Amino acid sequence: MEPPKCIICDIIANTIPSKKFFEDDDTIAILDFNGANPGHAFIIPKQHIPIFEQVPNFLVGKLFNIANKVSSAIFDVLKVHGTNIFVSNGVSAGQKVAHVIVQVIPRLENDGVQLSWQPRQMTEEEVSTVELKLKDEIGRIGFGKDSQSKQAVPMKKDAIALEEPEGEENYLVRQMERIP
Amino acid sequence: MAQQEMSEEQIKELQEKIKNMSPEELREFQKKQCIFCQIISGKVQSKKIYEDDKSIAILDINPANPGHVLLLPKEHYAIMPQLSEEEIAHIFMVAKTISNACLRALKASGTNILVQNGVAAGQRAQHFMVHIIPRMDKDGVEFRLPQKEVAEDALENIRMKLEEYVGSGKKILQKKQAPAIAQILQKKAEGAGEKQVKDKGLDSQSTLHEPQGAVLQGGSGLSKIHVGASQNPKEPEAEVDSSQPGIKGEKIRQSRSGKKKQPGKKARAAKGGDKGQEETAPNLDDIARLLGG
Repeated sequence: MEPPKCIICDIIANTIPSKKFFEDDDTIAILDFNGANPGHAFIIPKQHIPIFEQVPNFLVGKLFNIANKVSSAIFDVLKVHGTNIFVSNGVSAGQKVAHVIVQVIPRLENDGVQLSWQPRQMTEEEVSTVELKLKDEIGRIGFGKDSQSKQAVPMKKDAIALEEPEGEENYLVRQMERIP
Repeated sequence: MAQQEMSEEQIKELQEKIKNMSPEELREFQKKQCIFCQIISGKVQSKKIYEDDKSIAILDINPANPGHVLLLPKEHYAIMPQLSEEEIAHIFMVAKTISNACLRALKASGTNILVQNGVAAGQRAQHFMVHIIPRMDKDGVEFRLPQKEVAEDALENIRMKLEEYVGSGKKILQKKQAPAIAQILQKKAEGAGEKQVKDKGLDSQSTLHEPQGAVLQGGSGLSKIHVGASQNPKEPEAEVDSSQPGIKGEKIRQSRSGKKKQPGKKARAAKGGDKGQEETAPNLDDIARLLGG
């Protein structure tokens, strides 16, 4: 099936020019033209994957390991005081394009970037409800099982299927519809 | 808190003491000072929603939204570059699962995944962590990334430097570049150490989780995030934390390089079939080794 037109895919295909500074079989890394700070970088899977939960495990590991290296590079090259690694997943989280992007944002004091929040007041009961719900759901998804966590991290592509639960596609497709 | 009474001499004495510690002693010492290590060991209560042998996920005491999760490696690492590739891969796979659970269980319509490297980036705790924040439309959480103009030649200059640093093709980091990172980290760590000790002398408000509280930018909400977790009464030793980073950066990696060599090699051998991984794997171990020697 032909994927919908995606500006990120066009960048990957080089039909739209970009400031690319890294590329391998599965990923590219580019600079944002209008970054939050100079050096604002995007680490992007080449495969058209709209939301983070759909990214296969080996690729999650790869994306964030590259992000970590880019972060170190930014520290070194740009002499910044910090970096944020940031994923916006879904429109409500600020995702703008239907293609997963891991952002690495160079940080300086008072740079106008706001990634902070006001703590929300919750009652003990509300907290317990959330705790239970999340615990249950993680148990259902299955990653919490010992058998898996004690193994070496699956890096091979064929290990992906391990934890995609039933009905995942439908659920994710519904989530996708929220993306412009 | 007790650290307010610390005199110059006491601070010096403490620094001396820390300097003379073996890497193992230092490590134990750091763990004792770290509230999150105490949460991991169960000494401090938390709302734990996930745990495996390498990582643990708890609810943030001062959440941006209900279901705001802190995901931590069980090992005490202050900064992300100290984690091995395997550990990073593991942590973010868990993050993916938790993000998924937030979407499903809490009917969130999105999530943010956030890492804060350095005080300027909002890091408050001396324990590396990943935030997973469930999001809803108009939930009042405002993350702002301004768009700044960068001159074309300046951007190209950055691009070239990053390309050289990160390397094109498969080898993400060249060995020759490792010392540069090591240097930076060390410098950074030393700098942080000095600065914090100074802060402790001058600014009595500093706490375990706000090592440089005085310089937080606009951190109205953030500055309190983890402090809630430290409501435990065992804080009087917190002052000692101030001198950690300077030494930590160096010695932790020393002890790691000794310990971690074996698993690192094994893991690499095991995934020899996957060429992409094979060629990108060794860097952090190499960095660790260089630091150790």
